[in-house]
Amino acid sequence: SFTSPTHMSRFIWYKNKVCGKNVVLLSRQVCVSSALCRKNLAAAGPEKFTVEYIQKQVEEYEIGKRHLANMMGEDPENFTQEDIDRSITYLFPSGLFEKTARPLMKLIHFPLHKAVQWGADGRPFHFLFYTGKQSYYSLMHDLYGKILKIEKHQDRLRAKGLFSQDSQLISLGPSRWLTKEELELLLVETISTHDYDRFIKLMEHMLGMPYSSTEEEFVQRYRRLLEAQSLKQLVPLLEKDENGVAFSTAEGRRKTSDSSVILRDCGSGHITVNGQDYLQYFPVLQDREQLMFPLQFMGVLGRFNLECKVSGGGRSSQAGALRLAISRALLSFLSEGDGEAMRQAGLLTPDPRVRERKKPGQEGARRKFTWKKR
Amino acid sequence: MAASISGLLKPWTPRVFLVRWSRYNPYYLEPEVSKEAYSRPETELSAEEKEQRELKALRPIKAATSGVSSSVFDDPVISKFINMMMEHGNKVLAREIMTQTLENIKKKQVEKYHKASEGEREAIECNPYAIFHQALENCKPVVGLASIQKGGKYYQVPIPLTDNRRRFLAMKWMITECRDNKHRRTHMYEKLSQELLAAFGKEGNVMKKKYELHKMAEANRAYAHYRWW
Repeated sequence: SFTSPTHMSRFIWYKNKVCGKNVVLLSRQVCVSSALCRKNLAAAGPEKFTVEYIQKQVEEYEIGKRHLANMMGEDPENFTQEDIDRSITYLFPSGLFEKTARPLMKLIHFPLHKAVQWGADGRPFHFLFYTGKQSYYSLMHDLYGKILKIEKHQDRLRAKGLFSQDSQLISLGPSRWLTKEELELLLVETISTHDYDRFIKLMEHMLGMPYSSTEEEFVQRYRRLLEAQSLKQLVPLLEKDENGVAFSTAEGRRKTSDSSVILRDCGSGHITVNGQDYLQYFPVLQDREQLMFPLQFMGVLGRFNLECKVSGGGRSSQAGALRLAISRALLSFLSEGDGEAMRQAGLLTPDPRVRERKKPGQEGARRKFTWKKR
Repeated sequence: MAASISGLLKPWTPRVFLVRWSRYNPYYLEPEVSKEAYSRPETELSAEEKEQRELKALRPIKAATSGVSSSVFDDPVISKFINMMMEHGNKVLAREIMTQTLENIKKKQVEKYHKASEGEREAIECNPYAIFHQALENCKPVVGLASIQKGGKYYQVPIPLTDNRRRFLAMKWMITECRDNKHRRTHMYEKLSQELLAAFGKEGNVMKKKYELHKMAEANRAYAHYRWW
């Protein structure tokens, strides 16, 4: 049989018994495109790895790290990832523009692979293997077992006469349930949104029962702490210039405008924008209101001197960029509670709204061309 | 864990294009701009407000828009009215018209005040903001009509309106009435101040429109059970 470059032809051989001998009589050419024979790699999903494979990779990485440290003449014990990156860029200089295509020596995050679930005789280990989602169903089974245990505990207390309705509920603190993706990572198998919702409902049901604090440790495994947002604010440094006046610098962006502001604790309240007086630079009242917004909110209107530089964008976006820069610079002069108040007033969030692009087949970002029936 | 929660903290997920979408994640909360909300001590708050405060401490907050500020002169209702009056993004002009309207109202009321006798002076309201709010309140309809299809025919069914919808209708009627039904040579601020003062006194075309809507709703009371929500 011959193969053409565009498609493979398969000859189907029919055996026919003639006079007791197998004789080839018919062959039909079946044209099958090579695309059908290729495995659909994209549909298989991301590659998964066994625990042994991951361990082997980690060991190889560690040994390679020590070799690299010896090569570079550095201490193998204290060789960090930054040192590795530095050494690799030194040993294998690459002129490629695409950073991800350059030589790299790093441990990637290996998604876990489930170990083989059955023994040599073919019998599965877990009793829920044939459900298809054994970790999920075993989790639900355990959870229900805990609920039954709590109910039994309640019955025992009721028999003794010591039952009280509103006691011993679990106190969870500022925390949230595991998201569906995190639960999938924990169980090492995929679950549907319906399954996830049922799991959360059952957990909430258990939390609502009195005397559920006995299972607190079990519940905490499926909760994550929420950290306060105010901790994530970067406060600019408070410096002192030659005359002993405290000042701080900050930058801000809005749409296509960039601004930088130097806030001086003089006590005069002068404002200069790009060398001009702010009354001259912003003739519109709304822009001046936006400049004063953070200062007025904190009640420090006449206290600070502002030296502003702004470029790009239009008048409103320049005012917005300056407002963000002023709020950030003001953080270094204020207490934490005031900073949190500013954040909740929306002064410290950079505005993500930018101009939406025009799409092909439409007149603008949203406007479509006039609809014509024919 | 870090990957999924940081996805919620970023304001926008790229490559997820929905038709009606905001640049902010639904995780973000609205900002609270007034200073008084932060000066209230813990003891004055109800349990709900305490919960809200705790939630605000944990969630990211949207940026305040460029139309709002914590100044005493900033009024959310007036800002909304200015935005509704604005055409082709000309906020400067819309704001100018609004300030001229308020000035005009004040002038007229002060004139009336000086002409009135001693007994009537107390009854005359000179604060233009109070007049604006009262006029708008007088124009707000209580029930609205919705077109509901039943058995092949469309019926006008009376429905309750939300506060936002009522405020929107009052403002919309005011602006449309001033744009269309007045003499073309008068300025917009003049037309608006006349209409606002009339609405304050419960007269004028906008009040007439509101009463007509109420009459229609009363006439169609029989179909009220067609509403299913």
